[in-house]
Amino acid sequence: MKDRHDKFSDSEEQEFAAKAKRLFDESVQGLNAKTQSRLNRGRQRALADLESGAGFRSLAGWVPAAGIAAATVFAVVLWTGKPPVEEISPPATATDFEILLNEDSFEMLQDLEFYSWIDLDAELGAAANVG
Amino acid sequence: MSACAGEIAISCTSEDQTGVTTLHREQELDRFLAGVERRAIRIAEISIRDRDEALDLVQNAMIKLVRTYADRPSAEWTPLFYRILQNGVRDHHRRQAVRNRVMVWFGRPGNDDRDFDVIAAAPDPAGRTPDQQLESGEAMRSLELALQDLPGRQREAFMLRTFEGLDVAATAAAMGCSEGSVKTHYSRAVHSLRETLGEHWQ
Repeated sequence: MKDRHDKFSDSEEQEFAAKAKRLFDESVQGLNAKTQSRLNRGRQRALADLESGAGFRSLAGWVPAAGIAAATVFAVVLWTGKPPVEEISPPATATDFEILLNEDSFEMLQDLEFYSWIDLDAELGAAANVG
Repeated sequence: MSACAGEIAISCTSEDQTGVTTLHREQELDRFLAGVERRAIRIAEISIRDRDEALDLVQNAMIKLVRTYADRPSAEWTPLFYRILQNGVRDHHRRQAVRNRVMVWFGRPGNDDRDFDVIAAAPDPAGRTPDQQLESGEAMRSLELALQDLPGRQREAFMLRTFEGLDVAATAAAMGCSEGSVKTHYSRAVHSLRETLGEHWQ
């Protein structure tokens, strides 16, 4: 079944397109100076965008890599820097506070230097007895 | 120490190469845009019947192409550029339709495209005799009016194929449709234009 459009031959279609193209090209040649100037400015603006964007793009390319590196370092620090369970000090209990607030304990803390000297003296004496 | 110097040399060379590549790409883009911009402004102008708006659309298309597709092979730039431009044209028509509906609702006439003065907006022909100018000018004005009466997709297919010289595949890429659709739109456009313009136009 023939389409109604088939009444035009291919050569007629090509002639028509060629004339349309010629007229269009002439109208392009006839663009005024103001329009050409505005086109030129628009082009320069677009290209300036490339210059400023190139640096950003090259910098932006490093962002994912830097993020991955930072995450890796953080994970390694968390894993290797985790203290052993036995080293964790138990939280202070109420009894500890009672001892610290006890009057005798305060006196002991005040004479801490004295008690240290006694301990050191006792150790030295024991060493002399052994020798 | 020599290893360090080597690293610096390699780094400098790499930066130089990047700079040269960017400069080369910028020159390529400049040539491409300079080659396409004048046809693009006429194609956009015929589509939306306003040179200032058409200039804005072409400039936006340039900026978007550079921002988004500068790294793509230069052979792809033409269909990509026209795809951006055609999307801009379609957005313009949508905005215009909404604006007209709103203006009608307020009881004021919308900005009727029929008010467009084709003669006033026609470019100044150059390098031809007055008779030739008149004849060509009249013929082009008739063609523009006939194109404006076509459905949008047919107009796009005809202008990209005939005015820009894109092949079927590139036109399909620019229009975002299949090659078969391009052939159908183009064929219908040619026959509608011929019927509208009449035998004497040829």
